[in-house]
Amino acid sequence: MAYTAEAFQNEFLALGATEVNAIVTVTSSGAEGGRRTAGATEIIIVDCSGSMQAEGRMIAARQAAKAAVNCIDDGVRFAIVAGVSTAQQLFPAPGQLAVATPETRAQAVHAIDRLQANGGTAMGAWLKLAHQLFAQRPGDIQHAILLTDGENGEYKGYLESVLQEIGGSFTCDCRGVGTNWTVSELRKIATAMLGTVDIVARPQDLAAAFEQMMTAAMGKTSADVQLKVWTPVNSTIRFVKQVEPQMVDLTGKRIEDGPRAGRYPLGSWGSESRDYHVCVDVTAGAAGDEMLAARVSVVEGDVVHAQSLVRAVWTDDSALSARINRQVAHYTGQAELAEVIQAGIEARKAGDDRTATLKFGRAAQLAHQSGNKATEELLSTVVEIEDAETGTVRLRRRIEAADEMALDTRSTKTVRVGRGQ
Amino acid sequence: MTVSLECAACADERAAGAAFCESCGRTLATGSPAGAGPQCQACGPAGAVDADGYCGTCGMLAARPRDHAEADSSPVAAAVTDRGLRHHRNEDAMWLAVRGADADAVVCDGVSASYDPDVASAVAAEAAGKVLAAGGDDLAGRIAEAITAAGAAVAELARTDPRRAASNPACTIVAACVRGTEVGYGWVGDSRAYWVPEQGEARQLTEDDSWATHAIALGVDPQSAWNDPKAHAITAWLGADAGPVRPRTDTLRPGEAGILVLCSDGLWNYLTEPAELASTVRAAVREAPDLISAARSLVTFANDAGGADNITVVLVPIHT
Repeated sequence: MAYTAEAFQNEFLALGATEVNAIVTVTSSGAEGGRRTAGATEIIIVDCSGSMQAEGRMIAARQAAKAAVNCIDDGVRFAIVAGVSTAQQLFPAPGQLAVATPETRAQAVHAIDRLQANGGTAMGAWLKLAHQLFAQRPGDIQHAILLTDGENGEYKGYLESVLQEIGGSFTCDCRGVGTNWTVSELRKIATAMLGTVDIVARPQDLAAAFEQMMTAAMGKTSADVQLKVWTPVNSTIRFVKQVEPQMVDLTGKRIEDGPRAGRYPLGSWGSESRDYHVCVDVTAGAAGDEMLAARVSVVEGDVVHAQSLVRAVWTDDSALSARINRQVAHYTGQAELAEVIQAGIEARKAGDDRTATLKFGRAAQLAHQSGNKATEELLSTVVEIEDAETGTVRLRRRIEAADEMALDTRSTKTVRVGRGQ
Repeated sequence: MTVSLECAACADERAAGAAFCESCGRTLATGSPAGAGPQCQACGPAGAVDADGYCGTCGMLAARPRDHAEADSSPVAAAVTDRGLRHHRNEDAMWLAVRGADADAVVCDGVSASYDPDVASAVAAEAAGKVLAAGGDDLAGRIAEAITAAGAAVAELARTDPRRAASNPACTIVAACVRGTEVGYGWVGDSRAYWVPEQGEARQLTEDDSWATHAIALGVDPQSAWNDPKAHAITAWLGADAGPVRPRTDTLRPGEAGILVLCSDGLWNYLTEPAELASTVRAAVREAPDLISAARSLVTFANDAGGADNITVVLVPIHT
């Protein structure tokens, strides 16, 4: 697949300044007809705890799992895991992966009818089984869907230890149905596994959500793409974040790769475009000095697909150094937007309505200014926005749990601005 | 165009036309020791310069060919362009073509506030230079045609990149062609042409398209006009946002021996009065062994005075 990487920044720094910011847009054109160059393995994990009996969730989950199975391309390996107090493989035989054909898909659909809600919730064990199954197919694009409706029932710290062990080894998209699950718990899994998290409030929407996730997964053509960042001696990386389509802090996922360079996992890629914010502290130069503050490469194994340079140029011309790069400013705002929404939700749960109102007010202002309409709409389910321009809001007296959870899970969704500087 | 480079390792040692610095043996093109890989000038033996021109250790940019370039066609003409001391790259560009005693010269100065001004100036100088080489006997008409072509080439750049479209590359231009004792010249912006006769009063041939010039023309005291922060803001330029380009052109038949000087504001900022500039040019020519050394010493003069901007100077002696 062909990739491009392009940096957007104001490279001019005032004398003495050391912080260098750039937005790097990585785009893959999906050449070679968008054909997968690697194999692919899909695992569907369905929560079968007793609570799934309620509100017709189990029926909807069965339909969703069937819909997802029918989206799996021929030749892709797949398995279905029934999540109870332990992980039980529903299809195919335990320890096996099926190869998708019309026959195996029909067998899987038949097997899904046997899913019964009568157990506990053990997400750590479910993920561990998925990890064992994926281990049979090294090099594959490995993707899992995890559906749950409740909180993890494993002893405290077990899920974290599993994530520590298997984090990043496959992609896992997490969906919570109903409102009895915890956003922070699923977010923890999605973040460790480079996946997404979202709420499906109504069981009847599950099938569409599963279809959408599986279709997106089938569009991935590369398994393990990484961002390699070289920085000069005596410099520090403040952060590397994915900022579009959603905020993901990659800073802690760095794997050292040779002198002054590290790799950040980007997961699997199809034909798509994502933005990254790189922030580096360097040693200040003199007027007229130009420094390479970071060399950002898109790599897959030893292959360098694309490269972009982040520069620092010191100038005594304040007209140049005072310029604000629109991309950097925009995504700095989007990062703050996600932070203030989560802070607002925390504050409201803790009963601190004053702080919550302040945070949500700032969020409304940021969402409005940046044209993030989706987030502004979600905010308006939690607060009444009186004046978005000034961030004047009032907490709604009655807030639906599903609305607040949707705001929480989707707070990290960002929008793009025009490409000109 | 013959180009020799300043040695990046020992700034004062220059060997025009030589492949290696005579002082330290580094190649003049890369500043590296002969036969070894390029070495970083900022952090020493620890760093090696990568293919993209930055040190693999400290990240500092290695010297670029455009940082200092010379065109030596002595005794007909000589030109030098230099990054100066305070700018990170040379956004000036020049063109010098000599056939027999005839010379075509162009100096362009990229507008720093625009995107890729260094590309704008390079594109403009080349486009204008190519037109000057062809063309008819009407020197002023030929200059106008060359500047118009340069303007079109620079405007075209804005279509090539969204960032260029948002802040279009722009530059100034001053161009001259010398045919025997006749000189055609023209300009847009604040790069200048001067006539410096061997004796007598020197003349600034161009009138800056700048805020200060306009203010002075409207009666503002020159001293206070030049001290205004807006003084150097140019009122005409080449670029996609420049509107129709209207170069001002003229011809000159000096009738006396002297030197035609084209330069960017990196030089004339330190010599605002034509008389000052003339005495500095005369001294440079008198004291230097040849024309290129004279042009070089004018660049050194500007750097010694602060080197706040990129510096370009072209000298074309005219005989009676």
